[in-house]
Amino acid sequence: MLKRIRLLTTILVFVLLTATWTACNGDTTEDTDGSNGNDNDSNVDNSEAAISVGVVYDVTGKGDQSFNDAAAAGIERAENELNIEYTELTPNKDGSDRAELLQLAADSHDLVVAVGFLYEPFVVDAATENQDVQFGVVDTPMLDFESDPSGQPYGDNISGLVFTEHEGSFLVGAAAALKSQTGTIGFIGGVANAGGLIEKFQAGYEAGALAVDPEITIFANYITEAPDSTGWQAPDRAQEIALSMYENGADIIYHAAGGSGLGLFAAAKKHSETVGSKVWAIGVDSDQYHTVDPEVQDYVLTSMLKRVDVAIFELVKSTIEDNTEPGAITYDLAVEGVDYSTSGGFIDDIVEQLESLKAQIVAGDIDVPTVPNS
Amino acid sequence: MNSVRKYFKIIEKVRALPAWATWMMWATLGMLVLTLVQELSDTSQLTDVVSSQGMIRWSVPIMLAGLGGLFAERVGVINIGLEGIMILGTWFGAWGAVNYGPWAGMLIGILGGAVGGLIHAIATVSFGVDHIISGVAINLTAPGLTRYLSSHIFVNYDGGSISQSPRVGKVGDFTFPFLAGGNIGSWQTPDLLGWTADQNWFLISETTALLRGAGSMSIASIIAFALVPISVWILWRTRLGLRLRICGEHPLSGESQGINIYRYKYYGVLASGMLAGFGGAFIVTPELSGVYLEGQTQGRGFIGLGALIFGNWKPGGVMTGSLLFGYPFGLSLRDLDGVASRALMLVGVFALVGVTVWTLKKGRRTDAALAGVLSIAAAVWYSTSQTVPKWWISILPYVIVLLVLVFFSQKLRMPQANGSPYRKGGHSN
Repeated sequence: MLKRIRLLTTILVFVLLTATWTACNGDTTEDTDGSNGNDNDSNVDNSEAAISVGVVYDVTGKGDQSFNDAAAAGIERAENELNIEYTELTPNKDGSDRAELLQLAADSHDLVVAVGFLYEPFVVDAATENQDVQFGVVDTPMLDFESDPSGQPYGDNISGLVFTEHEGSFLVGAAAALKSQTGTIGFIGGVANAGGLIEKFQAGYEAGALAVDPEITIFANYITEAPDSTGWQAPDRAQEIALSMYENGADIIYHAAGGSGLGLFAAAKKHSETVGSKVWAIGVDSDQYHTVDPEVQDYVLTSMLKRVDVAIFELVKSTIEDNTEPGAITYDLAVEGVDYSTSGGFIDDIVEQLESLKAQIVAGDIDVPTVPNS
Repeated sequence: MNSVRKYFKIIEKVRALPAWATWMMWATLGMLVLTLVQELSDTSQLTDVVSSQGMIRWSVPIMLAGLGGLFAERVGVINIGLEGIMILGTWFGAWGAVNYGPWAGMLIGILGGAVGGLIHAIATVSFGVDHIISGVAINLTAPGLTRYLSSHIFVNYDGGSISQSPRVGKVGDFTFPFLAGGNIGSWQTPDLLGWTADQNWFLISETTALLRGAGSMSIASIIAFALVPISVWILWRTRLGLRLRICGEHPLSGESQGINIYRYKYYGVLASGMLAGFGGAFIVTPELSGVYLEGQTQGRGFIGLGALIFGNWKPGGVMTGSLLFGYPFGLSLRDLDGVASRALMLVGVFALVGVTVWTLKKGRRTDAALAGVLSIAAAVWYSTSQTVPKWWISILPYVIVLLVLVFFSQKLRMPQANGSPYRKGGHSN
């Protein structure tokens, strides 16, 4: 018996190894065809590239149909328009190899783009060690507030790309209030107390909704609290929260919860089908009408666009031109760093009102808060 | 003096009741506490139909993992690798569902789990590796393997990535006729439970509302719940079950009866892997996630092991444990203003008071004092706080298991030879 099992195991291991080897081989051939989406995918051009860029994604990686995909769109646009070459890297599940990935990217590239504020301390270390490489981090100003309370850049080769998410959220909040039939709307955040980032979304959303309808009821809930960051990867929990909000009368819900947002779209479809009247979801970061599964597409009212793609494209461009500013580079409504989407045509009737609100924010007539009231 | 004697007589009568009657009694008592707390707290969420549906959704994966643990430990193999096997179940479940439809996904997820179980069986049964080491190895390898597979397969799909699959399709729901108003042919039967739940009859409406939640659920959930009586039947009513259990209780005496212990241990651990794989495949169905996403099992395999200990290595107990763990989790997510979660704390206070009385009656003074102090602490916390922190709900299952281990450990009995190595002919390694 035992002998037979040993023999079987040996055969099994052999078969597995062969299969793995063939699989690897198969993929290498694909790679030279220029197929996309490998873990470590170099898009090498024949002509001499202006610069080479290393993109290090956040834990969820490319294909999250949200934040990381927006970054990918930016670097792809830069490749098409600016004659660069780039490599993509994704950290492991718990993100424990962030420092190593940054060093790896810095070794062979002129510019390293780190997608996500969690990279901040690692980029500071890597940039100090690689003075000849330019670093850009999305979602954090990369300013040192410890040595100087007003904030100084960590180094000449470090920039932070920040967005006025509260302004974009204000506009989709206004859209929700204008479109709501029940006078009740909802907000689902991924992780609370993570440096106040997601609270910015909530504050803008609530302010926008209240500006249109001071009587409106707003449910706000977070999936987890920092340091428990599983809230970005829990579509099941997001779905449960969203269902409860819909059942309690909300008909439009906005999420700022990364990968968990998929649960919100699923809940919108589920609830609409059970009850028979349509409820909506609002996407975030990318234009989620185009990124979600076609099955739930019709429930995406609009999306708060955070133009990570624009920011990364501009960063690449300024690096080529050698005039990158160290420290925080802010993308706001005025430069279309944040915006709302009209895909699907569901909010065509209120675009005029939204545009006028937008103009008031840009002109400084409306001051959008960054901290929620409650 | 007379009254005391009378009291003991009642106790003896209760003892003499058949098992199902005691269960009913405890369930009614639990419902009574729940209803009273609900009345006190001014919420209706504790016994809502939708809360009940949430409870079922969140319990099923825990229960399947628990049943997986049950089959492994009943044949004497500790399976701490349930979490890793569940991860395999999520990946293969999603892969199968995306390519061949939701039902095939379920099946392929189960097969993926079986592979995990097979590896654990080869390591522990054939090679005599320490059960914990093999289990931890599976837990560490599974996420790496699935990520590797994703990087070669899911990235090529539309909407897939290194950490995510495209959307997974629905398995389909079933609504029981008469009880919950399901259809027979094209005729819609009356919704008896739903009607009773709407009547506002004290205790009865609350109970039927919770039952109504179970009246309409995913077919996968129905299969999962059906596996509980099936497990009881297999393990305690068939020859196969007797042979499986002897592997966990006293393999050498089984061997002396001519039973091939190795083979039955393999059966048990394989079944364990298949059940945990089913649990993983369930997590990716739209009932919960509707997508494979890295890290989405979120420790449910370990909570399943908790349900196994809570349930005293019996299928019915595993089910009770997972419902008990799934209930606060689903409820806290559905709870928008924090009232229901806080009310749940009051239920906990009552439970601890119950434990105090019970230990006092048994004459276990130290335990009674400990339970008393805990119940007072819980009561103080309840009265001084307005909301329950989110992390508290996440650790609640572990807290319950710890409390069960502290206060009821004398009642727990795991399979006698659980975790000890077995070699044919009684040679030790």
